Amino acid sequence: MTSARPAHARRWAGALLAAIGIWLLWPVAAIAQSPWGRDYWPNVSLTTQNGGQVKFYDDVLHGKIVVVNFIFTRCGDVCPLDTAQLKRVQELIGDHAGRDVFMYSISVDPENDTPEALRGFMEKFDIKPGWTFLTGKRADITLIQSKFGLEPAGDKPATHSTTIILANEATGQFVKRSPYDNPQMLANLLTGQLNPSGRNSGSRQSYANAVAVATDEGAQLFRTRCASCHAIGGGDGLGPDLLMVSSRRSPEWLARFIREPDKMLAEKDVIATPMVVKFRNLPMPNLQLSQKNTAELMAFIDQESRKVMEERAAAQHGANHH
Amino acid sequence: MSTIRSLARVGLTASLSMLVVSAAIAQTPLEKRKYNIPTGMVASPVFGAQPFTQKMVMFEEFGTRQMPEAECTNCSEVVAPTDCSKSMNADKIDFTIKQRLFPMPTREANLSRPNPWQAKVGECIGRTLATSYIEGRPPGEMYAHQRYDEFAPKVYFQSVQSGARINGGARDAAQMHRYQVGEFGPGGLYHNTAGAPGFEGTTKGIDIRLHPKMPVQDANSVWTFDGTLPPKLLMARYGEPILFRHYNGLPISVAANNGFGNHLITTHEHNGHNPAESDGFAGAYFYPGQFYDYRWPMQLAGRDSINTDASDPRAGMPDGAGGVTKIRGDWHETMSTHWFHDHMIDYTAQNVYKGNAAMMNYYSAVDRGREGYKCHYADPNNANLCLPSGTGLDWGNRDYDVNLLIADKAWDTNGQLAFNIFNRDGFLGDQMTVNWSWKPYMDVRARKYRLRLLNGSVSRYFKLALVTEKGERVPFYMIANDGNIMEHAVPFPNAEAQDLPTQGIAERFDIVVDFSRYPAGTKLYFVNTLEHRDGAGPKDEVSLKDILSGKYKGDPAVGKFMEFRVQAYAGQDLSMNPADYVEGKKKMIPRAVIPAADLASAHRRTFEFGHSGGTDEEPWTIKTDGGKGLMADIHRVSAAPEMGQWEIWRIEGASGGWSHPVHVHFEEGQILTRDGKPPPIWERWARKDVYRVGPEPNGSRTVEIAIRFREFAGSYVEHCHNTQHEDHSMLLRWDVLRPGQTVAVPTPEGAWEGVYYEPTFVLPTWRTGRGTGPSPNAGPGAGALR
Repeated sequence: MTSARPAHARRWAGALLAAIGIWLLWPVAAIAQSPWGRDYWPNVSLTTQNGGQVKFYDDVLHGKIVVVNFIFTRCGDVCPLDTAQLKRVQELIGDHAGRDVFMYSISVDPENDTPEALRGFMEKFDIKPGWTFLTGKRADITLIQSKFGLEPAGDKPATHSTTIILANEATGQFVKRSPYDNPQMLANLLTGQLNPSGRNSGSRQSYANAVAVATDEGAQLFRTRCASCHAIGGGDGLGPDLLMVSSRRSPEWLARFIREPDKMLAEKDVIATPMVVKFRNLPMPNLQLSQKNTAELMAFIDQESRKVMEERAAAQHGANHH
Repeated sequence: MSTIRSLARVGLTASLSMLVVSAAIAQTPLEKRKYNIPTGMVASPVFGAQPFTQKMVMFEEFGTRQMPEAECTNCSEVVAPTDCSKSMNADKIDFTIKQRLFPMPTREANLSRPNPWQAKVGECIGRTLATSYIEGRPPGEMYAHQRYDEFAPKVYFQSVQSGARINGGARDAAQMHRYQVGEFGPGGLYHNTAGAPGFEGTTKGIDIRLHPKMPVQDANSVWTFDGTLPPKLLMARYGEPILFRHYNGLPISVAANNGFGNHLITTHEHNGHNPAESDGFAGAYFYPGQFYDYRWPMQLAGRDSINTDASDPRAGMPDGAGGVTKIRGDWHETMSTHWFHDHMIDYTAQNVYKGNAAMMNYYSAVDRGREGYKCHYADPNNANLCLPSGTGLDWGNRDYDVNLLIADKAWDTNGQLAFNIFNRDGFLGDQMTVNWSWKPYMDVRARKYRLRLLNGSVSRYFKLALVTEKGERVPFYMIANDGNIMEHAVPFPNAEAQDLPTQGIAERFDIVVDFSRYPAGTKLYFVNTLEHRDGAGPKDEVSLKDILSGKYKGDPAVGKFMEFRVQAYAGQDLSMNPADYVEGKKKMIPRAVIPAADLASAHRRTFEFGHSGGTDEEPWTIKTDGGKGLMADIHRVSAAPEMGQWEIWRIEGASGGWSHPVHVHFEEGQILTRDGKPPPIWERWARKDVYRVGPEPNGSRTVEIAIRFREFAGSYVEHCHNTQHEDHSMLLRWDVLRPGQTVAVPTPEGAWEGVYYEPTFVLPTWRTGRGTGPSPNAGPGAGALR
């Protein structure tokens, strides 16, 4: 029977099958069965930092791997840290950013966060492409938050949920994480589990090479609170390099600045104020650290600094001998 | 054409269910209801089904086989599904289940062959896999089977995790009773498996639905072991190491999950005395097409230090011929009722709810599953406690020993299982199921039964009462808590409680009920009396009177959920009388004695479960040893007890009304105190692996336990077993270190191309904890220890 069919019909059938083949190969969107799709999400209008209009479902979520969090630019402590942490995630995912992973920060203070304000915030943090800041109507943003299962911020932006959502709408995967998660874990999720067709660009260590990173509380604090902006011996980042900082500043000044930078800046501290200007007008956030935490952090910075200096001395010594 | 048709059908079904689910979940006011049940969804329709009109299915045994001596020469690897969004084909699954183990297991992960689905995976995910491996276990020495030669597997079983399908009867012949013995034999109560003609002596034809009047579950709504019901049971013996080859036969497309569930899995044998590589570490997950070889040694804890000459007749394995093969180790550590389930990082709640849960009964010299045979009640020199079971088999009789997996569920208006993935407080279903049957009945003989009750919910706590039709309480005894037979049987009602205590998620209570108190024809009911309003934790116990009179109209899962129909018994009940084993009388399994000096020098650690203060305010966190509240990171080792040393762990709930059933892997502990006081009677004689903290009935803000880790090392976890809390992300990693070990095990990270390792880091207190001995403020109970 098949052979009796006209050639053009067979060709047409072949083309159809090929089309279906492609459709099937197109990883996930074509076979998505997620209930968390178009009918679930509000397709409300939001405004980008450039003043452009986007639809939340069509343009922000649909068919994409995304990172979504909620911020406001007047935020004193948590938001700058969130942003710095996500900046670290963006660095870790490399060229995935803007190619197959899209980052969005949505304001929970839309009355104040105009596109200009968002642009200013982005400039401070030197935000790279692939990361869009959004504002809009308060009611719409509230709806988006509740759809994510987050307590809406309402008119109290300072109490907003700092949850970071990592999602792939096409596959119906939605994962909630915190800004204090290990940025590497977030990067692994974005390039691995959430990205079925993407190559996992994470490092491949064999178990033989892996050793425990013995650490203390200071190291833990540094990794989760400081490392997104500051290096020890690695050069300036969003904030200054802290190598041997205790030889440049008094312990009293340093301890206070770590604990309450906002107050010292308000008092127009003579050391801190010009530093802010030097570093993109990005003030150090108040990280709500205790005295104990502060002491542990300072001890860690000292210890790491000595280690770096010793390594440099050893390298210098080696170089002199050759 | 068939491909096109089936795609069109899938598309249609998908869009229909999408509409329905979104209609159910889209309205925010649902979250604001006084009773947000089912969580964020509208009520599950019952399609005209009436309670207690379907026969409950009994657990189906996996069946174990002797390990082959040599490699199979004509066996084949698992075959990929033809469709990216479907599980492995049903006939291929049954072929794999029946086929001999192939290839032979290896000590280190088998990297010698590619994932047999490699080509299909490449096609489905749109890239060619540069590498792939047949086994998903992390490679190399760190996840090699510990003490492999010493505990080489003697028996094995295989299962394919897969989407819902019709049972093909592939395991009929693997049942120990072979549908020929006792109540499972012809004429017995359980010979017919589904309560309808055609199911005599077979499970062939059982489909996946919660009631005959309800729709069949779509293949991607429910994922179970084999893809079938009844739920599965592993019959295991102490002293007989088991290899479980777990195949992942789930869809290659991660999107093909009908809204919840992840196709990556890792299987945790809940509280097994198992080495870390076979514990189902949350980060050691495997991919569709791969298998993971879990090797469970089945050894008594204390094997290296206690009864090392294997002379104690109470430490032993039923030999199948009426005798006991004596084994090394401490018989006080004998365990009985376990379960195993998925432990995928971030997805445990969804995957377990979707069907990744099986039960496992451990049989031993003391708990042989055979009554009337060399019973302890007849002669104190006999080990066999002769708990209700049966007499037809040498061990493992299940005629009067019944596993009951109790769980709340919810479904959409199409009747398809549904889950709200966005609510982190917890997920509650509005419908009660037992062994996946909605409000079933079960025929029982007028004699004593052992019921092994497992709370298999995501977030729901139970408090169970057993009553007559008139609402009078039926007396019974608790004989095991968390699957461990207690020192003394505890009668209910008792001075401290009328009904069973609060049963948190994953807690197991074994009870003995004497149905001979009631004439044939009597109907008895299990009633859930513990009210929830949302998934964060239970509220109060509702009075039985208000429930039974219909006056109570709140939480829809409160009420009667299972009916027992008493049938005449012509046999002779040869099981023990629990009344002979209550406090002051004979002992069943005494708890191991902890020397006071060991307790005084034990490392003390504290774990506070809550919303932590400061800046880590997102739910849910654990503060270790007074440190900051931290979310799960499997790279971080929070505690590192040394092998063999006693530890005292103080588990604390935060203030604020949240409840957390905390589960510690690998070893059971003894509760020293609750809020500084001696624990209630059902915990006083018990060994536990789930420690509830919270304001719920029978709860407390703190629990202090004594625990130690022996024989095996590696990475384990501890977490809240409200699995929505666990996934967001109230879980921490702790490692057992060998004496002298200083390097932590690296952290596995999975990928289609194979597992790689990332660096591990540690908390400063990982080795030292917070001091030694019981908490200074632990109160008199701590000193009252034996």
